[in-house]
Amino acid sequence: MTTRKALWLLSLVTMGALASAQPKVVSGYENGKPGGTLTMALSSAPQTLFYYGAIDSAIQTLANQMFDGLIEYNYKTYQIEPALAASWTITGGSKVYTFKLRKGVKWSDGRDLTADDVVFTYTQIVANPEAKGGDAGNFAGVKIEKVDAGTVRFTLPKPAPAFIHYMRLPIMPKHKLLPFSQEGGKKPGEINNAWPTNVDPAEVVGTGPYRLQSYTAGQKVTLVKNPNYWKRDADGNSLPYLDRLEYLIIPDSQAQVAQFLAGNLGQLNITGTDFPTLKQREVQGAPIRVVAFRALFGSPPHLAFNYDDKNPELAALFRQTEFRRAIQSAINRKRIIDDVYNGLAELPGNGVAPVSEWYYDTTRLLGSYDLAAASAALDKLGLKRGPDGVRLLPSGKPLEFTLTYGSNSSTFSAIATILQNDLKAIGVKANLQGILAANLLSTGRGKDWDAIVLGLGDQPDPELRTPIWKPGGDLYYWHQSTQPATPGGPPQFNNFFPWEKEIYDLWEKAASTTNFTQRKALYDRWQAIFAREAMVIMIAKAYAVGAVSTKYGNYLYSLGVIPGYNPVAIMYQK
Amino acid sequence: MSSAPAPRLERNSPLHLAWRRFLKNRPGVVSTGVLLLLYLVALFAGFLAPYNLTTQHPDAVYQPPQRVHIFRDGRLVRPFVYRLEKKRDPVTFIASYQEDQTRPTPIRFFVRQGEPYRFLGFRTNLHLFGVDEGYFFPLGTDQFGRDLLSRILVGSQVSLTVGVIGVAISFAIGILLGGISGYFGGWMDTLIQRTTEVLLSIPRLPILMALSTVIPASWPSTYVYLGIIAVLSFIGWAGLARVVRGQVLAAREVDYVTAARAIGAPNLRIILRHITPNLTSYLIVTATLALPGYIIGESALSFLGLGIKEPMASWGLLLKDAQNFQALSLYPWLLTPGILIFISVLAYNFFGDALRDAADVRSVD
Amino acid sequence: MWSFVFRRFLVAVPTLLLISVLIFGVIQLQPGGFLENMLDDPRVSRETVETIRKQYGLDQPVWVQYLDWLGGFVRGDLGYSFLNNRPVSGLVGERLGWTVFLALLTILTTWVVAVPLGIYTALRRHGLGATVANLIGYFGLATPDFLVALLLIFAVLSTGGTNVGGLFSPQYIDAPWSWAKFKDMLAHLWIPLIVIGLDGTASIMRQMRANMLDVLTQDYIRTARSKGLAERVVLWKHAVRNAINPLISIAGLSLPNLISSTIIASIVLNLPTIGPFLYDSLLNKDQYVVMALLMMSAILLMIGNLLADLALAWADPRIRYE
Repeated sequence: MTTRKALWLLSLVTMGALASAQPKVVSGYENGKPGGTLTMALSSAPQTLFYYGAIDSAIQTLANQMFDGLIEYNYKTYQIEPALAASWTITGGSKVYTFKLRKGVKWSDGRDLTADDVVFTYTQIVANPEAKGGDAGNFAGVKIEKVDAGTVRFTLPKPAPAFIHYMRLPIMPKHKLLPFSQEGGKKPGEINNAWPTNVDPAEVVGTGPYRLQSYTAGQKVTLVKNPNYWKRDADGNSLPYLDRLEYLIIPDSQAQVAQFLAGNLGQLNITGTDFPTLKQREVQGAPIRVVAFRALFGSPPHLAFNYDDKNPELAALFRQTEFRRAIQSAINRKRIIDDVYNGLAELPGNGVAPVSEWYYDTTRLLGSYDLAAASAALDKLGLKRGPDGVRLLPSGKPLEFTLTYGSNSSTFSAIATILQNDLKAIGVKANLQGILAANLLSTGRGKDWDAIVLGLGDQPDPELRTPIWKPGGDLYYWHQSTQPATPGGPPQFNNFFPWEKEIYDLWEKAASTTNFTQRKALYDRWQAIFAREAMVIMIAKAYAVGAVSTKYGNYLYSLGVIPGYNPVAIMYQK
Repeated sequence: MSSAPAPRLERNSPLHLAWRRFLKNRPGVVSTGVLLLLYLVALFAGFLAPYNLTTQHPDAVYQPPQRVHIFRDGRLVRPFVYRLEKKRDPVTFIASYQEDQTRPTPIRFFVRQGEPYRFLGFRTNLHLFGVDEGYFFPLGTDQFGRDLLSRILVGSQVSLTVGVIGVAISFAIGILLGGISGYFGGWMDTLIQRTTEVLLSIPRLPILMALSTVIPASWPSTYVYLGIIAVLSFIGWAGLARVVRGQVLAAREVDYVTAARAIGAPNLRIILRHITPNLTSYLIVTATLALPGYIIGESALSFLGLGIKEPMASWGLLLKDAQNFQALSLYPWLLTPGILIFISVLAYNFFGDALRDAADVRSVD
Repeated sequence: MWSFVFRRFLVAVPTLLLISVLIFGVIQLQPGGFLENMLDDPRVSRETVETIRKQYGLDQPVWVQYLDWLGGFVRGDLGYSFLNNRPVSGLVGERLGWTVFLALLTILTTWVVAVPLGIYTALRRHGLGATVANLIGYFGLATPDFLVALLLIFAVLSTGGTNVGGLFSPQYIDAPWSWAKFKDMLAHLWIPLIVIGLDGTASIMRQMRANMLDVLTQDYIRTARSKGLAERVVLWKHAVRNAINPLISIAGLSLPNLISSTIIASIVLNLPTIGPFLYDSLLNKDQYVVMALLMMSAILLMIGNLLADLALAWADPRIRYE
C-alpha cells in the first residue's frame, strides 16, 4: 500500500466516522466562548485515580469530569438522558436492556469507544466483588454481552426498575485496564491497584470532557480539555468551553472559604452556615454570586432511636410509635432551619428529597412543634415527671439517654444542642455524646448507642437506597434485630413490627414493578408509613448552596460526587 | 504584718526576703490580683452569671453585647438597658438588633430568678443582677441565644482548673522520676529513660483520638474531660522528667553535692535539700509555661471536636464558635473567651516571673 | 563515645518494639474505619466489605496482623495503604519533602530568633525592647495557633490580599521552579512560619531568659568578672554557654514534631505536609500508614535524644557518659 493510498483511505475513514458521529447537543443554556480556567476545591486528596478502586469523594468528583456512563441526568430536571448510549430498549418482560452506543465517541487517547469497553467495565470491574468501588451486589446474575461493536445487552434474572440508574457508572477503557483484570490473568483483587495516584497521567484515559494532566501529591489536580468530547452546544460548538479545571486540595472548610474570597477559587460548594458572610459580600458588590437550590442529593439529618437498646426499658420505649411521635412534636424544625441552616433548608421528605419525582407529601404527618402536646403524649405513656422535672421510667429510673452526634460537624452539633434543649423542656434528659462525624455510621451500626443524629444520602430513585429503608437491610441500623442472623441470609421476620412487614412487602413489590405509576404508589405508601410511625425522625433537608465568581457563566450547582450529573461542561469564562 | 515589730530572725528569713522582693515586682503583684480575681469569679460563677449556661433564647440568637445606659432624658437614673428588636435581613439572613428606645428595663441587683444552681451544697437561684422583662446579655449571645457572659463564667471553672490539675499531676511524676533517674543513674536511669522515650514517641493526637472514641458513652462530660487531662499530663510528665534528669545529672557533679555524698548524707536528703533548690527557678518557669499550655491544649482539642463537649462549657469550647469568618466579621464578641485565655495566660506568666525573681537568693536588683 | 552510641542503638531496639506494640494497640482500639464508612455508598454491599476485609488480612487476629507488619517493617517494607491502594513508602515520600523543609525552616527560625531575644531580654530586663519582645512572646503563648492562623488570614483578606493559605498561589503549585515561583513562595511562607513558630519561639525565648538570669548570678560569672575578663567573653563564653545547656534537651525532643505537631496548623493553613495525611489515615484507620508515620516519629525522637545527649556532653564538660 502506497503512502498516498493509505492517506486517502484514512481520510475516507475519518469522513465516514464524522458522517456517522452522533454528538449530543445540549441546549437551553447560554452559548459560551471557549478558553479559560476554573479552579475548585477538593476536601481531601484523591486516594486513587481509578474510580472503582476506592469509595472516595475526591476521585468521584474527578471521575465525573473524566468519564461518562451510558446514561446521565438532565441538568435541570434530573431525568435520565442518553449519554454514551445513544438509545436503549427494554424488552423481555423488563428484563432485557439493549443499549446502542453513541457513534464516533473517542477515548481521550484517540481510540474508539466500543461495546468491548462497556462489557469489560461491567463484567470485570463493576460486577467484581473485590473491586472496592464496584457494585457487585446489583449485578449478581446479570448477563452482560456484546451484540455487535456498537450494541450491548444486559439480561436480568428478574425485573429491576431501578436498574437503568446503574447505567450511570463510568465506562472504563479496556485497552488500558486489561492488565489489571481477571480477563488479563490477574487475581480479582488486583483491579484495585489500577491507576494509583502516582500513575503516568497519560494512562488515565476517559471519554469525559476533561482528562488528567497532573497530580501534585496532596496539593492539586489539573485536568485539561478533552478535544474528543462528544457534546456540542446549541450552535454546534464543541464542549466543554473551559480549557482547564484545577482542583486545589483544601481539607478545612474555612480555608476553602478564605481561598474563595481571595479569588483563588472560582467556585465553591458551601453550607447554609457560611451563607450570610458570603451573601453579604455579594450584596456589598464583591464579584461573586451566591445561590441556593432545592437539592435532590445530599444527606438530610435524622434522629434515630435504638429499638434494640441495651437497656431493655429504653428499648421498650423506643419501640413505641407514640413515644417517637411525642419526641417529634418536640422538634422545632422551623428554628433549626432558621438558626442552623440560616433559612436555607426545607421540611424534609421521608427517605425521598422533596424535590424528587418520587416524593410523597408527608408534611402533615411530620407534626408540628408543640411542647405541650409532646408533654401530654408522654404523660399518656405513663412517664410521670420526677422531682427535678425529669420523667421517670416505669422502674423509677429517670428517662435519660445519650444522644450521639458528630462533634466536628457544625450542623450536627447545633442540631443536637437544640434537640437537647427542647427535650429537656418536656422532661426528657438527653446526654450529648459528641464523636467524630466519620465514626457516626459505624457507631450507629454498632450496639452502643441510644439515640443518634445521622444523615444518609438521598438518591434519584428510592430503590438505590434499599439497604437503608427496607427493614432488615444493611443500613437499617435502628432496628438491628431485623437484620439477617447470618450474612446473606433472610431478615429475621419474627422481630418485625406489623408496619415494618408492610414496608418490607412494599419494597419487595416495588423492586419488581416496572410501571412508574404503580411503583410510585408503592413508594408513596411507604413514605406515609415511615412518617406516620416516625420510624426515624427526619429533621430538615438542606438546600444546595454554591458560590461562584461572576467571571463564569452557565453556573449550575453540582455536588460533584454524583455520577451522571456534571454541569461543569457547560460553564464558561466570560 | 510589717507594722508589728517581728523578731529579727524572722524578718531576715529567706522567705520573708523573698516576699519583700515579690512585692516590689509590680506586674507580679498585679497579676496575682488578676489571678485571685479570676479564681474568685470562677468560684462564684453561678451567682455572678445572670443565666444558666445552657438556657437558650431562640428569639435572641447572635445578639450583640447590650449597652448599659445611666442617662434617660438627660437625667442620671439607675442603670437600665433597652429591649432589643431582632430583624433578619431577607437577603443575607443576617440577624440584626435595634434598641427599642421606648422600652427601658432597669437592671436589678440580687435577684431571685431563673434556674437554680448549686453553691457549696446549697441550691439557690440568687443572682447578682438581672432584668424583670426582656433580656440583659452584657457580652452578647451565641448561635442558640445563650448568654455568653454566663457561659464564660461557668466555663472558667473548667479552664482555670485544667492547668492546675494537669500541671500538678505531670510535675509530681516528672520531678520524682526525673530526679531519681538523673541522681541514681544505672539501671533505674535506663528504665525510666526508656519509659519516657516510649511515652514521648507516641504523638498525643492519635492517643487522644483513640481514647475519645473509646471512652464510654455513658460517662458525663466532666469525667471524659478529666480523663483527657489525666492522659495529657501522664504523657506530659515524660518531657519534664527528661529535663529534670539533665539538670540533676549536672547538679550531682557540683562540689557541694559531691561533698554531701562524701559525708554520707542520705540520698533523699541530697535530692531535696541540695539538688531541688537548684532547680526551683527552672521549675517555676516551666510550671507557668505549662499551665497555659493546658488551657490552650484544651482549645486545640475542641477545635478537632475532641475536647470538652456540650452541654459543658470551657473557654476553648466557647472560642471554637469564633473560629470561622462568619464570626470574625459578623459576631466578633464571640472572641471574648480568647481574650480571657490571653489574660489568664499573661497573668500566670507574670506571676511566675515574679516568683522566680523573688525566689532567686542571689538576685541583684 | 562510640561505645555509648552503640549501646544506645542496642537499647533502642526493644524500645521501638514496645512502641510499635503500643501504637498498634491504640489503633485497634478505635471503632469504625474505612471499611465501615464504605457502606454509606449505595454501591457497596456487606459482602464486598467482607471480601476486602479478607483481601487485606483484616479478618486475621490482631497479633497475626501485627507480626505480619513487623516482618515487613524489619525487611524495610512499610506496608500497604488500604485507602490509597499503594505501598506506604511512596505515599510518605511524596509528602516528606515539604514537611521536612517547613519543619527545619521553622526550627531554624525559632532558634535564631528566640535565643538572641532570650539573651537580650535577660540583659535588658526593664528596657522598652525587652518589654515589647516579652509582650509578643506572651501573645504567642497565649493564643492557640489555629486562632492566630485564622486571624492572620482574616487580616490578609481584609486588606485585599490573596495569599491566604498553602505555600503557593494555585498556578505555581505544579509549575516548574522559577524566580516568580520562589517569590510567590516567600509571599506565602510568612504566615505558616509565624503560626507554627510563634509558640516555640516564645517558649524558648522565655526559657533562655530564665536560664540566663540564673547563670548571671552564679559564682563563676562573678569570678570571671573579677578576674577582669572582658564583659563580652564573660557573657558568651561563660554565661550563654551554660544557659543554653537545658535547652539542648528540648531541641532533641522537637525532632519528632516534624511529623505530628503541625497537624492542626497544616489543616487550617492548607499546608502540603504529612500532618493532614496522618490525620486522615487515623480517622480512616488506615493502619499501616499510621504505623509507618508514628514509627518514623519514634525513630526521629530517638535520634534527636541521642544527638541531644551527645551535644549535652560536648557543651557541658561536667556530664560524662561511661
